[in-house]
Amino acid sequence: MNLYATQLECLLVILGLGTLLTDAFRPGGDRRKLGYLLATLVTITLLYSFTLAPTADTFFHGMYRLDSFALFFKRLFLLATAFVLLMGAEFVERFETGVAEFYALVLLAATGMLVIASVNDFILLFVALELVTITFYILTAFLRRQVQSLEAGTKYLILGALSSGFTVYGIAYIFGTTGTTNFDKLATLLSAGGSGSAFLLGMLLVLTGLGFKVASVPFQIWAPDVYQGAPTPVTAFLAVGSKAAGFALLLRVMLAGLLPVSAVWMPVLLVLAAATLGYGNLGAISQRNIKRLLGYSSIGHAGYMLMGLAAGNALGSQAVLFYLGQYAFTNLCAFLVIIAVGREEIADYAGLGKRSPILGAALFLAMASLAGIPPLSGFFGKFQLFAAVIEAAQTNWHYYILAGIGAGAVVVSLYYYFNVGRAIYIEEAKDTTPIPVSLPVRAGLYVCMLAMIGLGIYQQPLVEAATLAAGIFGLK
Amino acid sequence: MNPVWIILFAPLCAAAIITLLTRKAQMLSALISCAAIITGFVLTLQLFAQQGNWMSPEPLQWLVVDNIVRIEFGATIDRLSILMLLVVTGVGSAIHIYSLGYMKGDPGFSRFFACLSLFTFSMLGIVLSNNFIQIFIFWELVGVSSYLLIGFWFEKHSAAEAGKKAFLTNRIGDFGMMLGVLLLWTNTGTFNFAELPAKIAAIPSCTLGLIGALIFCGAVGKSAQFPLHVWLPDAMEGPTPVSALIHAATMVAAGVYMLCRVSFVILPSETALTLIAWIGGITALMAATIAIAQNDIKRILAYSTLSQLGYMVMAVGLTGITPAMFHLTTHAFFKALLFLGAGSVIMAMHHEQDIWKMGGLWKKTPITFATFMIGTLALAGVWPLSGFYSKDEILLLALEHNKALFIMGAFTAFLTAYYMGRECFVVFFGKPRDKHAYDHAHESPWVMTLPLVFLAVLSIIGGWGSYIPHFLKPDEHAAHHDAWKGFALLLVPAAGFLLSAKIYLKADASDAPVKAALGRAWTWVENKYYFDELYAWIIRYVQGTIAMLCELFDRWVLQRLGIGGLAGTTSVAGKTLRLLQTGNIQSYAFLFGLGVTVIIYYVVVR
Repeated sequence: MNLYATQLECLLVILGLGTLLTDAFRPGGDRRKLGYLLATLVTITLLYSFTLAPTADTFFHGMYRLDSFALFFKRLFLLATAFVLLMGAEFVERFETGVAEFYALVLLAATGMLVIASVNDFILLFVALELVTITFYILTAFLRRQVQSLEAGTKYLILGALSSGFTVYGIAYIFGTTGTTNFDKLATLLSAGGSGSAFLLGMLLVLTGLGFKVASVPFQIWAPDVYQGAPTPVTAFLAVGSKAAGFALLLRVMLAGLLPVSAVWMPVLLVLAAATLGYGNLGAISQRNIKRLLGYSSIGHAGYMLMGLAAGNALGSQAVLFYLGQYAFTNLCAFLVIIAVGREEIADYAGLGKRSPILGAALFLAMASLAGIPPLSGFFGKFQLFAAVIEAAQTNWHYYILAGIGAGAVVVSLYYYFNVGRAIYIEEAKDTTPIPVSLPVRAGLYVCMLAMIGLGIYQQPLVEAATLAAGIFGLK
Repeated sequence: MNPVWIILFAPLCAAAIITLLTRKAQMLSALISCAAIITGFVLTLQLFAQQGNWMSPEPLQWLVVDNIVRIEFGATIDRLSILMLLVVTGVGSAIHIYSLGYMKGDPGFSRFFACLSLFTFSMLGIVLSNNFIQIFIFWELVGVSSYLLIGFWFEKHSAAEAGKKAFLTNRIGDFGMMLGVLLLWTNTGTFNFAELPAKIAAIPSCTLGLIGALIFCGAVGKSAQFPLHVWLPDAMEGPTPVSALIHAATMVAAGVYMLCRVSFVILPSETALTLIAWIGGITALMAATIAIAQNDIKRILAYSTLSQLGYMVMAVGLTGITPAMFHLTTHAFFKALLFLGAGSVIMAMHHEQDIWKMGGLWKKTPITFATFMIGTLALAGVWPLSGFYSKDEILLLALEHNKALFIMGAFTAFLTAYYMGRECFVVFFGKPRDKHAYDHAHESPWVMTLPLVFLAVLSIIGGWGSYIPHFLKPDEHAAHHDAWKGFALLLVPAAGFLLSAKIYLKADASDAPVKAALGRAWTWVENKYYFDELYAWIIRYVQGTIAMLCELFDRWVLQRLGIGGLAGTTSVAGKTLRLLQTGNIQSYAFLFGLGVTVIIYYVVVR
C-alpha cells in the first residue's frame, strides 16, 4: 500500500539512478538525446499520473498523503521536470562534464518535490525539503569553472543552511510544546486548547524556512544573485519547481496544520505579502540582466500568491494553485527562450522578433502573461487573487490596503515587462543573424503558448482542478 | 455534438486552416471557406425543419470566479435566432460563391476568404449568444473582421482610412453599449438573457431607460444610425461582396437583431422606445435625401441601406419586433442582390463606379439587369415583391402609433423609389456615356449570376403569405391591416418612379433640372449635410483642444509632480534596494537574521 502511494517517486528514483549508471556503462553516449529521452519518459510519467485517484487515506503512519492536493502538485512538478530536462538537453554544450549527473540530480530534486506534495508530518517535511535543497546547491554550482555559478551556489548553500537551521529549530519547538509532528494531530490539539508563545516561536521559525523557499521578504535576498548565477535550466527549475514546492508546503502547513491559529499568522502573511510585492517589483525596475529580472519578478509573484494565502478563504487558496499552474507555463516559456537565445542581457534581445519570430512571440507572450494582460492566463490568475483579497476585505479592511499595493505592483510591473517587449519588437537588432530553434524547443514553446492563451480564454479545466485540490482544506 | 456548435465553429476552423495551412493554394482556401458556410446553411435548414422541437445546447460555464462573476458560453436556439441564422448562412453562402468569381485573380484571394470566414464566425456568434458578455465579445469580433474586410485593399489609402473610420466610429457606440451592459449587471447580477427578464422589473424605470438608451448606442454604431452613420458610405471602399455581406445583409443588421434579442430591456421603457423610434425615423429620411444626389453606384445603395435600417430601428422603437425582423430578412435578400448586381455592373465596366459613365447596359448584361430590377422593385416596396409586405407592416405600424413618423416614413418610401429609379435609368437605359467601356462590357460568369438569380427569387417570394412573421410569432395572429391601406401605399413608390422616369429616362439625362429645382438644398444633400466636415471640425478643434490641455497637464503636472515624483521615488527605491543587494554573504545572513528577529518580536514578544 505504501509502495503504491509512492509509485511516482519510485519511478523518478529509478530513472535518476539509471541515468547515473549510463555514465558508467556508456561514457561517450549522446547526452543531448539522453535528455530528450528523459524528458519524454517524465512526460509519460506525468500522463500516467492522471490514472491515479486521490484518496483520503494516509500512508507511512500518517506522514504521507495522496489527496487531490498532493496529486495536483505532483503533476505540476512532473511537468516542470520534463521541461527542465528538455532545457538541460539544449544546454548540453555549455556543461563541461557530468551531463548525466545533471539529469540525475534534476530527477532526484524532482523526487523530493513529489514527496513535498504529499507531506503530512514535520519530520517528512524536513527530509523532503533537504532532499530538494541540497540537490539544488549542487545544481546551482554546476558550471564549476564559472565564478558566477560557484558564487551563487555558495550563497545559496550558506543562506539555505541558515534557513534549514531555523526550520529544524522551529520544528523542535512545535514538537516540544505539543508533543506531535503530525499535521492532523496538531490541528486537533490546537483547536482544542490555546497556544503558548513557545509554540508561536516555533511556528514563526518554520515559516522562516518556507518563506526562504518561496523567496518572500525578508528572506528573499538570495534570489536575484542565485537566479542570475545558476545555469539557466536550474534557474527555471528554481522559479517553477522550487517555488511551487515552497507554496505546497506553505499551504499544507498553514491550512492543514496551523489553521486553528490563523489569527496569528494571517496578519504576518499579509504584511509579508505587501512587502514582497513592493520589493520584487521595485527591484526589477533597474535590472539589465534578464535572469536577474526574472529573479526579482519571481519575488514579486511570490507576493501575489502570498496575497491569496493571506486572504485565507477558499477562493484565495484555489487562486494560488491556479496561479502556480499557469505561472509554470509562463516561466518555462520565458526560460526556454532565454536558453535558445543564449544571451542574458536585455539589450541582446533587441530585434528578437525579426531574428526569430517564434522566440520573439513566445517571450513577448510570456512577459505579457506575467504582467497580467488579458486574454492571457496571467490575467485570470491575478483576477482571482485580487477577488480573494477583496472578499477578505469585506470582514477586515486592512485587506483593501493589500489589494491597493497589489494593484500598484501590477502597474510598476508593466513597465519592466514591456521593456523586454520593446526590445523584442521595437528596438533594432545589432546582430541580425537568425537564431536556429530546435524542434523539441519549438514543440515546448508551442505547448507553453497554447497553455498561456488557452488557459487565458478557457480557464475552467485548471480552475476545477485547483478547486478540487484546495477543497481538502475545507475553507469557506 | 449539437449541430449548432458545428454551424458556429466551422467558419472559424476554415479561417484558421486557411491562415495557417492552405494560404498558398488559393482555390482550395476558397472552397474550404465556402464549404464551411454551406455546411452551416444546410444544418440550419435542418434545424429549421424541426419546427418547434428546438433544444438550446447545454451552455459551457466559461468564466467563473466563485460567486462573483459567472459567464456562460452558450447558444440560444429559438425562432429569432433560427431566422437570423438562415439569413446569415443563406445570403452568406450566395455571397461566398459570388466572391469566387468577383475576387478571381486578386493576390489576396486566400486572405479574403479567411477574413470572410472569420466574419461569418463572429456574426453567427452574435446571433447565437445567450448572454451580454458573449454577444459583446462577438460584437467586437465583427468590428475587427469588418475592419479587415473594408481595408482589404489596404495599399489604397482611402480603403485603409475607411476601415479605420468604420472601426473607430463603431467603438464610440460600443463604449455606450458596454456601459449599458455593466449598468444592467450591477442592477441584476447576471448577464444571461434567460435570467434577465425576471429581474428587469426590480430596476427603477429611470435607470432602465438609461440602460436601454446605452445599449441602443451599440446598435447606433453597428447599424449605422444617425449620428454615427458616417462610416457606412465610406465602407464601400471594400470589395463589393463585402459590401453585400457586411454592409447590407448581416453586420449592419446585427444592431437591429441585438435590439430584438434584448427587447425585454427596451420594451418596458417608454423613454428608450421614443428615442429609438425617432433616431430610426430621422436616419431613414436623412439617408434617403442624401441618396438622391450621389453618383457612385455603391454609395447610392449604401445610403439606401442606412435608410432601410432606419425603418427597422423605427419599427423596434414602435414596439414592432416582428415587423423589424421581417424587414431585416427581406432587406437582406434584396439589398445583397442589389450590391452583388452593382458588383456585376462594376466588373462589366472594368471597375468603373460612377453612374454617369454608364448607360444602356441592359442589352449587355441581361441577367444582371433583370435581377437588379427585381431588387429595385422589392426595395421600393412594389407588390407582390417581398419589400412590399415588410415595409407596409412598418408604415402601418407607424400610422397606428405615431403620425409624424408615418409621414416621414412614407416620404422616405417615395424618395426610395425615386433614387432607385434614377440609378436604374441612368445605369441601364439611355445611351452609353462611355463608348469604349460600353463596347467591352460583358455579362459576368455563372458563379456570379447564379447567386444573383438565387437572391432574386428570394426577393420575390420572401414576403409571400406573411410567412416570416408567422414563423416568428406562430400563436399570434399577425395584425390584419386593411388591405386597401397597403395598396393605397403603393401610390407612393409609383409616384417616385414616375418622377424619376420623367427626369432620367432619356438619352441625355442629367441632374441639372433637379439641381435647379432644389437650389441650395441640393448642395446640402450632395455634401451629405456636411456631417463629415462637422465631425472633422469637432475632432480638430474640440478634441484637439482637449487633447492639448491633457497633454499640457500630463507633461507639466503629472510627469513633473505625479509620475515624475513617483518614478523618481520608485527608481530611488529601486536603487536603494540594489544597495541592499551587495553580494556580500555576511550582510545577507545578517539581514536574514534581522528579518526573523523583527517578525518574532512583533508576534511573540509584543
